[in-house]
Amino acid sequence: MKQKVISNFTETFGIEISLNPNFVVEKAGRYYLVNSTLKSMVKPEYYYAGTYLGKAKGGKFFPSFNLLSIMAKKDVSRVIVDWKTAWLFICGRDILLRGVLRFFGSGKKHTNVLVLNEFGECLGFGRIVGNMSDRSRLDDFVVRNVSDVGDFLRRER
Amino acid sequence: MSGKEFFQDRYRQLGWKLREVKLCQSIRINNTNAKAKNIVERLSQLGVQLEKIPFLNDGYWVVDSKVSPGATAEYLLGLYSIQEAAAQIPVSLFRDLKGKKVLDIAAAPGGKTVQLADAMDNTGVIVALDVNKRRLTALANHLERCHTANTVVYLMDARRATALGIKFDRVLVDAPCSGNLAGDRNWFKNRTLKDIQRNASLQREILTIANECLSNNGELVYSTCSLEPEENELNMDWSIKTLNLELQDIDCTGTAGLTQVFGNKLDLTITKCRRLWPDKTQGFFVAKLKKRHKQ
Repeated sequence: MKQKVISNFTETFGIEISLNPNFVVEKAGRYYLVNSTLKSMVKPEYYYAGTYLGKAKGGKFFPSFNLLSIMAKKDVSRVIVDWKTAWLFICGRDILLRGVLRFFGSGKKHTNVLVLNEFGECLGFGRIVGNMSDRSRLDDFVVRNVSDVGDFLRRER
Repeated sequence: MSGKEFFQDRYRQLGWKLREVKLCQSIRINNTNAKAKNIVERLSQLGVQLEKIPFLNDGYWVVDSKVSPGATAEYLLGLYSIQEAAAQIPVSLFRDLKGKKVLDIAAAPGGKTVQLADAMDNTGVIVALDVNKRRLTALANHLERCHTANTVVYLMDARRATALGIKFDRVLVDAPCSGNLAGDRNWFKNRTLKDIQRNASLQREILTIANECLSNNGELVYSTCSLEPEENELNMDWSIKTLNLELQDIDCTGTAGLTQVFGNKLDLTITKCRRLWPDKTQGFFVAKLKKRHKQ
């Protein structure tokens, strides 16, 4: 099932997202979510359609920021970071415990976590690499950056 | 027939004196993703001072900025787009966009496509075409960044659009054009009258197809960032005489379209078009057309 690759990814954040398989279209490993109106306009030679969900390449799934934003609306494993940390994260940096304002989820090491700014906007995601609750070690890196919205600038280079 | 003096003389004949222009950067708030008041406040805290553009609903001049407006978290999150002020006009001329089928011709890099999606509140459908694959990548990035959900994109020459077999309620023809001197230092060096005539001819081909794709009560907005009448008033004059289209009144900044061009008298309804000579904005031309009711 084509949407399996997407649900496998969302499960790594501890959530299930049910996508109607009739409304997920795939082209060259890129997945898009459409609705019935859009689907009738999607001819085989389309380049992009509806909401871009991400791409599968070499057995790995690379989520779009649209998908991450959809996930952010659910009860997902996530950290909320302060302004400075948000900016550094967008610049590709990892997250220090000092910059974490709030944390939701199991906090288990090597699991994925969404990174949100103080307005609840999704900046990307990372992998937990440190202890999220030991406030005596504020200068420890706790989330390693995997993907951030600064990618939009890096893609244009 | 080219060079600064040649074009300067043409502009003089059209009533404009060539002068140095300094464009003012502008942004457009994506209402689907953000509230204008919040963005103005957030950007102000970053040192970006905005001023409302009086002739646009969602446009703001960037009057001062300590950071690049194209590299803020708010931009990367799709809360606003960097979009030249005049370029925000064409989409604003459509009425009742929600739930409609819209064709966006020569769509990349996607500023107007995203503006359409925003005005449609992501309802209905936009079919966006562009002939250049590299530019489509920029369009796709733009759509993803702004969380656009109602667009289907094709790598397609606009002149093949009838092959889609769809009649559209609205068609945006932001036509490929010769551009203008604002923001291009080498414009006079690189352009000849022959280029302009070639572009005008391509634009007529595109207008013909756009008209075929337009449903009976549909609206077509035509725009270019060219100052040359061949690509603007003369094309509109040709359209209303050849394509069963009629010009509509528009409430928009700029001066009335020219009805006397280099000795040619054009249809008087051409005054319904709007021409923006370069000033704070780039040079621009825009017109709205509707199919004439068959008797």
